[in-house]
Amino acid sequence: MAKRLIFPFYQLGNPQLRIFRPSWFLTLVRPGKEQPPDTVQFRIPMEMTKFDVRNYLQKIYNVPVAAVRTRIQYGTNKKRNHLNQRVKRPDFKVAYVQLGQEQTFQFPDIFPEKEGKPVEDSAEGLQQKFMEDERQRQKPDPRRGGVTEWFGL
Amino acid sequence: MAATVAGRVANLCRHFQRSFAISPPSVRQQLPRPPSICSSPATRHAATLHTSAGRRGLGEFFDDPENWGESTVKSGAPWTAKQLRTKSNEDLHKLWYVLLKEKNMLLTLEQESKRQLLSMPSPERMKKVDRSLRRLDTVVQERETAIRLLQTGQERARPGAWRKNVFGKVYWYRFREYAIPWYLNTRYKRKRFFTPSFVNPYTRLSLEKHLRAKVRKARLEKQKSKRLDEMFSKTSAKV
Repeated sequence: MAKRLIFPFYQLGNPQLRIFRPSWFLTLVRPGKEQPPDTVQFRIPMEMTKFDVRNYLQKIYNVPVAAVRTRIQYGTNKKRNHLNQRVKRPDFKVAYVQLGQEQTFQFPDIFPEKEGKPVEDSAEGLQQKFMEDERQRQKPDPRRGGVTEWFGL
Repeated sequence: MAATVAGRVANLCRHFQRSFAISPPSVRQQLPRPPSICSSPATRHAATLHTSAGRRGLGEFFDDPENWGESTVKSGAPWTAKQLRTKSNEDLHKLWYVLLKEKNMLLTLEQESKRQLLSMPSPERMKKVDRSLRRLDTVVQERETAIRLLQTGQERARPGAWRKNVFGKVYWYRFREYAIPWYLNTRYKRKRFFTPSFVNPYTRLSLEKHLRAKVRKARLEKQKSKRLDEMFSKTSAKV
């Protein structure tokens, strides 16, 4: 993996250094503050640079990238534990990627309300859940392989 | 006879292609099909067989739209090292990127579900992908080691040697590349890879300290287990 990589010492004329099997993982996040329509927000590993992000998106995802801006988000250390010591949340790097070729991106709603799904709290939902549980309980043990219950211990 | 066999194979491949074209291509399947399903020369037209979605760009950071809003998503088993060992280097390289995209997708899903205060659908997928990635890495490292041993006989990827520091501690020193020879390198020469003779009594003492700590730890462990044994044998006798 790319972590703890020791590259050969670079001298002028040597081949370009390359990463096989990168172990950098990006998280596409919904922007907290409103962004222009062509800007995508990512959380990236600390050791990744702007150029890395550009190469990553262009080579692996085939996304045209116009510009990349990064910043480091300070994780809060306000929280205290039961010994009244400060608890630090980890810092992370945020990248704002502007897409090229006039592409736009809108973060989709990936948790839409399904009409078939009953609401958990309503009486109907509870009853349905209860019925489901009962049906599960009535089912014979699959490990018995269809042997009748009165047979065996 | 041979022509009819080839024709039948081609027909089969066409069938495959049709069935794949109808079903929406999904990256979710953890196991991409072996790349050479129909690679016999008689069926060159079937080289257009595609099973992965390569056209989605940023959409690959999200699950299939039909899985959106579901509470559980079906997934296969993680790759085992045994399965991975049968694959070629090229296949492993491709598989790494498939898994990488899958993991990015899962991270995005996890973050979004955290943000909306919902439970992540099928969180066990993350662990599966992690395991597959780790196994793939070990398999590639095995191959690298085998080649290195064959070609150069070196046991380690990064050579090194056991050295002593000033305090008499022996440690594994990993070699590095330098642009200049060591006798010109003042920073390298400042490092002291030897133990002066007046340190020898102290190395003896430090060894003694280490041994004492070890013995004491073992003794405490033994006493503790003995005490526990006694306690639990009493309770079991009562019952």
